[in-house]
Amino acid sequence: MKELNPLLHSQLRLAVMSILMNVEEADFVYLKEKTESTAGNLSVQLDKLSSAGYITVTKGFVGKKTRTVCRITATGRDAFEEYVDALRQYISL
Amino acid sequence: MEEKRISEKESLEIITAMIARTKDRYIGNGNIMLLWGYLTVAVSLAVWILLAVTLNGAWNRLWFLIPAIGLTVTPFMDRKHQRDNGVKTFSDVVTSRLWAIAGGSEIVVTIVCLIIRYLTGANCWSAMLVYTLIAMPIAEIAQGLIIKEKSLTAGGAVGLAVGIVTVCCVAGHISLVASWYMPLFILAFVAMMIVPGHILNSKSKQQ
Repeated sequence: MKELNPLLHSQLRLAVMSILMNVEEADFVYLKEKTESTAGNLSVQLDKLSSAGYITVTKGFVGKKTRTVCRITATGRDAFEEYVDALRQYISL
Repeated sequence: MEEKRISEKESLEIITAMIARTKDRYIGNGNIMLLWGYLTVAVSLAVWILLAVTLNGAWNRLWFLIPAIGLTVTPFMDRKHQRDNGVKTFSDVVTSRLWAIAGGSEIVVTIVCLIIRYLTGANCWSAMLVYTLIAMPIAEIAQGLIIKEKSLTAGGAVGLAVGIVTVCCVAGHISLVASWYMPLFILAFVAMMIVPGHILNSKSKQQ
């Protein structure tokens, strides 16, 4: 049986990846609201996903406010699909 | 939500829940549509009245106020909209590119009309009317179908109907006389931009 990717097999990182699989891009505030996480924790998990090359994180400005935008990469998309395939085997879908 | 190990069943629940949450998406407000709608209607009324009162064709230059103001203000409103929305979906990208193509080709038509006027002296501004009332309604109908918003599809259909009348009149050399054509042109923009813009704003407030 395939091993579940440990980077994705965690509550918040999986939630972030699930959202990013469904949209073109999402900003930090949106992700925080949808995942009901704290800013600090979300920031740490985004760094981990970004270091793995699963997402890109772009920091910019809209007016005077900062805006952090996250997008899933092709590597991240592949990893998520593999994770779902492995999950199917575990729960015998 | 915290950072913790989860079971396989919990994984599936998280994926399902997040997919469901991204479906409850912000429909977006209609402020950009209202800007273009009210701007076009205001300029159309101004040109119509000034031409009727002064009989001076120079007032037609006021039409250039529409792209000048619209193209200057739209990027600022779009950036604010993106910040308020927080997310961009595939349908957002498609509709935004659709409007960019419609608007961009409109600029090209304007430039071609200016070049023809400069080189030959021929007046082909009716091509602008025809193109505006075909390209814009088609973009709007497509957006309405993509985001499943009936006010956009219906408004676009009204605009397209006026566009078809305009094409037929131009092809049949029937003069687009201001007394009947301007109200029709204004009606098209009220139906295409102003009504859907207010409906989108109302739905956005409810969200």
